[in-house]
Amino acid sequence: MTLLAARGVTRTYGSRIALHPVDVDLEPGEVVALVGPNGAGKSTLLAILAGALEPTAGTVDNVERTGWVPQRSAHYGRLTARENLHLFASLERAPAARADDLHDRFELPDGLRAAALSVGNRQRLDLAISLVADPRILLLDEPTSSLDPDQRARLWEIARDVRDDGGAVLVATHHWEELEGRADRTLELREGRLT
Amino acid sequence: MTAVWLVLRKDVRILLRTPALLGVLLFYPLVIAALLGLVAGYASSKPRVGFVDLDGLPPKLVVGNHTFNVQHTIDEVARNVTLVRMSEDEGRRELDDGKVVAVITVPPGFVATLQQMVQSPTLQVAVTRGGTAPRVRQQVDALVYTLNRKLQRAYVDANLTYVRLLLHGGSGKFVGRDFDLLGLDRTAKLLTQLPQEERTQRIEHFVHDARLALAQTDDALRATATPIKLVEQPAHGRTAALSAEVEGYALALTISFLGLVLAAGALAGERDENVLGRLSRGLVSPGRLVAAKVALAAVVSTVLGFGVALAFAVATVVGHAPGGEPWGRLPLLLVALALTGAALGAVGSLVGAVAREARTASLVAVLVVLPIVFLGLIPAEVFTAAGWVSDALPFAHGVRLFAATLFDFHPWGAVVREAAWLVGIGLVFGLAATAAVRPLRG
Repeated sequence: MTLLAARGVTRTYGSRIALHPVDVDLEPGEVVALVGPNGAGKSTLLAILAGALEPTAGTVDNVERTGWVPQRSAHYGRLTARENLHLFASLERAPAARADDLHDRFELPDGLRAAALSVGNRQRLDLAISLVADPRILLLDEPTSSLDPDQRARLWEIARDVRDDGGAVLVATHHWEELEGRADRTLELREGRLT
Repeated sequence: MTAVWLVLRKDVRILLRTPALLGVLLFYPLVIAALLGLVAGYASSKPRVGFVDLDGLPPKLVVGNHTFNVQHTIDEVARNVTLVRMSEDEGRRELDDGKVVAVITVPPGFVATLQQMVQSPTLQVAVTRGGTAPRVRQQVDALVYTLNRKLQRAYVDANLTYVRLLLHGGSGKFVGRDFDLLGLDRTAKLLTQLPQEERTQRIEHFVHDARLALAQTDDALRATATPIKLVEQPAHGRTAALSAEVEGYALALTISFLGLVLAAGALAGERDENVLGRLSRGLVSPGRLVAAKVALAAVVSTVLGFGVALAFAVATVVGHAPGGEPWGRLPLLLVALALTGAALGAVGSLVGAVAREARTASLVAVLVVLPIVFLGLIPAEVFTAAGWVSDALPFAHGVRLFAATLFDFHPWGAVVREAAWLVGIGLVFGLAATAAVRPLRG
């Protein structure tokens, strides 16, 4: 059963076409790489698949819970990492224990406002937030850009766990080399078109 | 509802972590309110009026038996305006330029007509055009009224002199002519020396009645000159600084800044933090997000507005200034504050939704709040269009709601009317803000 199906998804900004009609399917148990140069439309496609951005045309059907890590930090800088996790857990109607568990699992600092955390820690917090609803689909936009090698390894473990549990992971990156042996298939996006 | 509550709780938590911002948002409008109060209270209270003397008023002027020091009299009657002596040409020019709001001209022959006391002399007045004209005309009317009151005594005394001449006889002068009058007293004496027949007795009766009647002329003439006397009673009410108007404006101004700037900054902040995309993924709809910001503005406005109202209430107790309902109506005031804060929050949400960044939103909010406040300060009778625009915004309704809540003897009519306006304005701006949030997703 297809977990996510996008059909004819298009996005324009005025007269500029950021994304030409695109079809994407995510099947259970796969890690899909979305590659392409900067400005190819990867972030736009992921935001549309995540439901954060409305497509100008086309449809996205996803029957499962979706986690999304945007390229730029997306949490409240004046709240601590734990408070951010608790807030999004409440909004996702997930148990508070799940937030605490993720906080410990990602070894996030306590007592500091998120704005005071390092870039790497903020990226880990974003990843933790994307997991509070225990998603079966994980959409990651350049997730490793600020992570150290250990954290990168942990990220791929998480991706593998989601895949092994019958979920699907879509990773957008322009670091081809990092995907070697990790992605089951690759989609390439150039100038808003899948090639 | 849960989503609104969660976002609201988050916003309050963030706000409490920036007490400096909260302090500025509270004290800045209070300072503005105080400055506006001073400007409104004193700047327009003494308008500049030109005084053109074409008759060459002498330093001293004798009217009847009274001598007037002209400059002293002018200073006394012109306490509510700043009277500036100028030539006829200067007066015309300054009125055209708007440097003076009116020009009073003493025409040639004024003093002569006044001293003859037969006809009323005329003063000419030219008043500026525009919205302030009625008020200026009132002030000039008041000036002439005060001058008339001063002259009244001289006129009455002069008339009484003639009455006394009629009664007692003697020499007098009228319109430049000297005359000698027999008088009723001496007439009565002469009548007693005449043969007492019926015609003589009838004349004696008439003289007797006329003497009695003229003896009452003094009081009657003074009563005719002043049919109603105004006696000022000692008052113990609120001073101008603690008046209903000042308290209403202070509350409305404070929460206008608070509500508008907070809601605008908080909504734009969601975008700054890049969280808007996360929230719009079915977690918090645009409508609920706007509702949370409206609720934030309502909560903060209620808490801080209540603090300001308490400060006013304590000041009335300490200053022994009774009046209004500083304590009893506080529960109703809470509702009024929440409603006004919510309506302002809706306006602020629209600003926050349209502006791209929190900084821009805050700046735009401050720029927006000032005209909203100033429009609300312009009396509708002075500039009708300003009244219409102000009616479509929350500030003026907030002022009227607070004044009715705290001071009206029967507040409910005004409270219900203004509350309905605020709910309507809040809904319109809230819906507009919700629509404006939508295209900003992501």
